[in-house]
Amino acid sequence: MSTHASSPSAPAPGKALLVGIAGIAVSLLGLFVHGAEKFATSWLIGMTFWVAVALGVLFLVMIHHIFDAGWSVMLRRQYEHWLSSFTWLALLFVPLLVIAWTHPTLLWSWMDPHYDLAAHGGHGTVGDDVLWSKKSGFLNRNFFTGFTLVSFAAWIGLAAIFRRNSFTQDGDGDAKWTLSSRKWAAGGIPLAAITLSGCIILWVKSTEYHWFSTMYAVWFFANCMRVGLSLGLILMVWLWCRGDFKGLLNDNHMHSIGQLMFAFTVFWAYVTFSQYFLIWNANVPEETFWYNIRETGDWFYVGMTLLFGHFFLPFLTLIHYPVKVNKKLMPYIAFFIASIVLLDICYNVMPSQKVASGDPLPFLQGGLIWTIAAVIGIGGICVWAYLRSFATTKLIPIRDPRIGECLTYHQGHAD
Amino acid sequence: MAHAESTAHAQHSHPILSEVNPVEIPRAVLIENKRDFAWITEKICGIIEGKTPTWWWVLFIAACFVASFTVAGITYLVSTGVGVWGHANPVNWAWDIVNLVFWIGIGHAGTLLSAILCLLRQKWRTSINRAAEAMTIFAVVCAGIFPVFHVGRVWFAWYLFPIPNSNAIWQNFRSPLEWDVFAVSTYGTVSVLFWFVGLVPDLATLRDRFANAGNKLRARLYGFFALGWRGSNRHWSNYEMAYLILAGISTPLVLSVHTIVSFDFAVSLLPGWHTTIFPPYFVAGAIFSGFGMVLTLMLPLRAIYKLEDLITQYHIDCMCKITLATGTMVGYAYGMEFFIAWYGANPYEGFAFINRAFGHYAWAYWIMIACNVVTPQFFWFKAVRQNTALVWILSIFVNVGMWFERFVIIVTSLARDFLPSSWGYYSPSIVEIFTFFGTFGVFSVLFLLFIRFLPIMPMAELKAVSPQADPHAGHDHH
Amino acid sequence: MSTQPYGLIAMYDTPAAAMHAAEQVRDAGYKFWDVISPFPVHGMDRAMGMRRSRVPRISICGGLLGFTTGMSLIWWTGGYNYKLLVGGKPFFSPLFAFPVSYELTILFTAFATIIGMFVLNGLPMHYHPVMKHPTIHRGSDDAFFIVIETRDPRFNAANTRSLLEKTGGKEIAELES
Repeated sequence: MSTHASSPSAPAPGKALLVGIAGIAVSLLGLFVHGAEKFATSWLIGMTFWVAVALGVLFLVMIHHIFDAGWSVMLRRQYEHWLSSFTWLALLFVPLLVIAWTHPTLLWSWMDPHYDLAAHGGHGTVGDDVLWSKKSGFLNRNFFTGFTLVSFAAWIGLAAIFRRNSFTQDGDGDAKWTLSSRKWAAGGIPLAAITLSGCIILWVKSTEYHWFSTMYAVWFFANCMRVGLSLGLILMVWLWCRGDFKGLLNDNHMHSIGQLMFAFTVFWAYVTFSQYFLIWNANVPEETFWYNIRETGDWFYVGMTLLFGHFFLPFLTLIHYPVKVNKKLMPYIAFFIASIVLLDICYNVMPSQKVASGDPLPFLQGGLIWTIAAVIGIGGICVWAYLRSFATTKLIPIRDPRIGECLTYHQGHAD
Repeated sequence: MAHAESTAHAQHSHPILSEVNPVEIPRAVLIENKRDFAWITEKICGIIEGKTPTWWWVLFIAACFVASFTVAGITYLVSTGVGVWGHANPVNWAWDIVNLVFWIGIGHAGTLLSAILCLLRQKWRTSINRAAEAMTIFAVVCAGIFPVFHVGRVWFAWYLFPIPNSNAIWQNFRSPLEWDVFAVSTYGTVSVLFWFVGLVPDLATLRDRFANAGNKLRARLYGFFALGWRGSNRHWSNYEMAYLILAGISTPLVLSVHTIVSFDFAVSLLPGWHTTIFPPYFVAGAIFSGFGMVLTLMLPLRAIYKLEDLITQYHIDCMCKITLATGTMVGYAYGMEFFIAWYGANPYEGFAFINRAFGHYAWAYWIMIACNVVTPQFFWFKAVRQNTALVWILSIFVNVGMWFERFVIIVTSLARDFLPSSWGYYSPSIVEIFTFFGTFGVFSVLFLLFIRFLPIMPMAELKAVSPQADPHAGHDHH
Repeated sequence: MSTQPYGLIAMYDTPAAAMHAAEQVRDAGYKFWDVISPFPVHGMDRAMGMRRSRVPRISICGGLLGFTTGMSLIWWTGGYNYKLLVGGKPFFSPLFAFPVSYELTILFTAFATIIGMFVLNGLPMHYHPVMKHPTIHRGSDDAFFIVIETRDPRFNAANTRSLLEKTGGKEIAELES
């Protein structure tokens, strides 16, 4: 295990672990203060958010390999460290599986055929609901558990392969590791796409199991990419501020990642607009109800915040070249995008918690604090995993075939 | 390790730079055999300056003959009425819109090559983008024929645009068909502009060569369209910026065009049409079909003009891989549609999909699956990608499959909608078949004229990506 | 009337040579001069000390104009001038007005960009002193030229020529205006 010889010493991961444990402890406190439902929702949001980050990172690593990209080699090393968080995320998913097997109706009412829909303005029980029985081959606890476990296994496996290939190459400088990564990336992208789609449908979309939209997984993918890129930018600038990346990171790297952030801002808007617009225009009640409940109470303003904060604001700032290469400003934009992704996930998860009238619970309520705690807690563990991995390897993949290109990266205008 | 050394001497010497020692996996060269600038000019301009080859005349006459089928079909339609097409309740929309979507989709690869790959800095695009952009424009021309003539009284086609008329009524902007009018006409216009901007420096090259050879007429002709381009770097600076912006706006444009085409169906209530994934799914399908067509066109061109140094195996690999990626995305969308049709538990939606796979049009559905999902999977294998003849044959399958995709989506949903008493079966009339068959001729005529009179590859861009264009080559600079 | 010549032209064989020469001309403080190249040479803008292109500003104006045109056209025609109820949809909504406004944004941006680029470049201009140079056809083929104009305050026939010679320029010649 070699550490960085003369660059700043590797940061100690201990603090992140403390933050993680503290966050988790606080969110557990919510269990006693506001009840199990609040905790379950908070935990699901926290998990979905950090899985989105890790999946975005996984996709970016695979896309890097499949394009044989040059400029992003040193960023990829940081992503590879981040991929170590998958193992811990799998572990942190256990509470949700416990909920699924013991108190499923906290989140997924379809898991309990005896669940009384009348409590929230429906009729009969889930078991009598034809809209559930038709899809019970997919929406059942065994499939939920099995698919989740398989997905985590796939992600952990892919993460381990890319990490091993890259880290081993530092030592032996063998080209076969790069070629192996390329092959695994080609196969891994469809695999990750399918697992991502299934998981987001099972975890989040099914919280409102009557509703359906073919675009949903693409929407989640867009968020994964946005938050993954934001993380990449934050890590790059953080390492630059610490001094590790001084003399390595240049404006062109900043510009390129900024362009990708911009592109995926547009992509997110495209996907989200299309989904909303098609449902709005067709005006079929079995679809529109999902958006209708999100226009009641303060959810309307959350929706507007998403429209402006998730699209217009990043779009209008990231479009400018000087912004994209501004190392002071960009981390703020990245943090902002990441928090709006979190809000987007809240927007998708929270309104399925209803009050007796059938309306969703308001967004701004005391329970929000447990959500924030869960996000900080799980995030702390992810950061801890990243920092632990960070200390074990070279700062950049010194034997990567494209590292030279990355370090001398300068781009033409039009090519 | 020239790279590592030059990095190590960079101004801020980071300690890790001394350890950098990249393993050797050379990048594929984009221009084989170390061709120089003059060779590129000579090669591309030579095609235009040389004598018209016999095969060109043979193909041109054949293409004109095929194109006459469209002329005949349209003439008969205009003089008689839209009733000469096979449309009848409940399938009032069939080959006309199938063909529109088919041709527009083909166009998308051209814009993808010129715009999206430009933004992604995929330099291999330079060899192909000119011809692909030409393909875009000609495909839009073919696509435009169908909506314009399906209105029946084509002399009223201007009603599509918001021009004040004696009825004082305006277009219905709530209709996706009106959005289509704007999308397709914007797409056509911007594609032509983009193509023209790319042509300007090359036209200047042709102007200078003809002037130097003493051919005043052609020098004037090319010179007129070259707008007096003289390669000034102050011009190049604005030019490159404009090109980048055009690439930047063409990317959302190409996405939006097929998105809006998909809205034609998706905003409706018809089972099999109303599904939220349609926009990106249509875009992926369009790019897929476009790359099929690019391969179909470029591989023969490469063989005839001996362009192996410019369209290398690497280029073919890249195109095959994009075809594979987009084909697989389309497969994902087919799967997701089918899954959600079941998951949504709407009996009509479920029926629409079962009917597609096992109903009267099942043959079309399985052709679609075989061509669009199965065919591209062969591109996983290097041996397939290296077999040019096989790649060409597979690309034909892609073209066929994507036509059938639109047919399946459009016709099966209309033929079997909510009310069994109004179910029907659609078959095309001979006039429709003629009109569609002829568009391949129209397309070929235009494409043949293009390869005869315009540079089929962007010379300036090719030179810019060749290794000797790098002013830093071989030594440290600044 | 004997007119002043337009300037001096020198030829270079490689992009690197032209770029080194351009750096020296820039450092000598010339303002009215140019490089002719068959393709955009990467890094030449900096070597010439040029500012970033102003085309994007024109493009943005075009885009804003397009979007406004689309929205106001649809509002005015359907929501104000001749209201017609279709499909129970509102007379005007930014949602259904979006696709068309979006297309017009792109259309107007494209026109603004291209027109802006040509206007900034002073094109079309079919006659230019540089184009009378006997070997200029190589400037769109495989050679690179530097042109220094006589109107430049630092221009001095002898000094400028020796600068071009020093930078390795070949076939240095005077351009008639």
